[in-house]
Amino acid sequence: MKMFETVENWALHAFADGELEGEDKKAVEKLLLENEEARKALAAIIYQKSELHKAFDGTLEELIPASLLTAAYGRPSMRILPYLVAACAVGLFLIGGSVGWLAGQSNVNSGQILITSLAQRALIAHANYSAEPRHAVEVAAVDKDHLQAWLSKRVGSDFTIPDLQSDGYTLLGGRLLAESNAPAGQLMYENADKQRMSIFFSANTEGKLTDLKLEQKDKLVTCFWRDAKLAMAVTADISNDQMKVLGSTIFAQVEGRHGVYER
Amino acid sequence: MTMDFRTNLVAEIPHLRRFARSLCGDASLADDLVQDCIERALKKSHLYDVTKPLRAWLYAVLRNIHVSNWRSNAKHQNAKSVDDLYDGEGSTRAEQEDNFSTNLITEALDKLPAQQREVLVLISLEEVSYKDAAEIIGVPIGTIMSRLSRARSTLQNILEERGTTFLRRVK
Repeated sequence: MKMFETVENWALHAFADGELEGEDKKAVEKLLLENEEARKALAAIIYQKSELHKAFDGTLEELIPASLLTAAYGRPSMRILPYLVAACAVGLFLIGGSVGWLAGQSNVNSGQILITSLAQRALIAHANYSAEPRHAVEVAAVDKDHLQAWLSKRVGSDFTIPDLQSDGYTLLGGRLLAESNAPAGQLMYENADKQRMSIFFSANTEGKLTDLKLEQKDKLVTCFWRDAKLAMAVTADISNDQMKVLGSTIFAQVEGRHGVYER
Repeated sequence: MTMDFRTNLVAEIPHLRRFARSLCGDASLADDLVQDCIERALKKSHLYDVTKPLRAWLYAVLRNIHVSNWRSNAKHQNAKSVDDLYDGEGSTRAEQEDNFSTNLITEALDKLPAQQREVLVLISLEEVSYKDAAEIIGVPIGTIMSRLSRARSTLQNILEERGTTFLRRVK
């Protein structure tokens, strides 16, 4: 189509791309009414756009590959570990306390790395999906029974979806998360102010039970624990104190006992 | 490095992946490109002007890596001149109608010269403004507009050459 390349028709491109306002926009609208070639050219531009979206928009809905999340969040251990090794080599291990602290910071301790990653997985999953106005959930709350059965089956442990209506949170639904080690479920809730809270859960493959713990990242805070079957994390954009209360409530409902916070 | 920057960066990953895939076609090459982009963005985060949209800055970072890969690797120079566009490559039709049109647009993209392709996907797919596209690529707006119109024209010729029935469909 030669007409795409004429200077006069640049206005048509600008119109199709939302670059025109006021008089310029009106002039193109007038041209479109009068000129069939212009209408055809505009239709072709719009068609190309829709074909491009059809071919590539699927990428937006895909889960982010773990390699990219790792690239973004980094691995502090890889940077701190060499120093730790060097420190030990020159005999600084005598200062046991600092080395212990370093080990904790650098995820060298294997217990630490698992718990950190549970909180991190929950925080990342919450950040990813709570911001989705339309695609926050895969299965909506209307299919709650199906959602519960499906996620229980995929996660590999019977799980009852907590009812948090009396705490001000309505269930929106949930989704399955493709996790590198094991499938995980995410339940999304919303309160009257449209603020979202999510419950992340996956099989506790470590077998180790933990008390309640809080971890914060920017505005988000997550309360997480491991029971005999599941690793769980409650995440929302609320204060630590509010999360302590909410975490305890959900813990009590899920575990049937009162939880204790680790310090 | 604030956690805020990382969080905002992660939120942009889906768009970076779509942009990368439309630039280089291949999904795993595209994710390699996104990974390089994330690493460079974290290293150069001090250069990011917080008053501007993060996405456009990341597009520029990603695009720069793509261009330098493309320049240093002859394999990626699959952009053809307009003269090469009609060399009878048109015999591999997908069997299914849906795949047919998707394959058609991606095949047509592969035939665009790289300079036209990047402008086209930035504006037609990523929907950045002409001004942002000019900043991302580092050329005047006039150059953006002429590359855009040439890209659309070339693409249209390929689509029509391949017998697509776009005019019937859009009615």
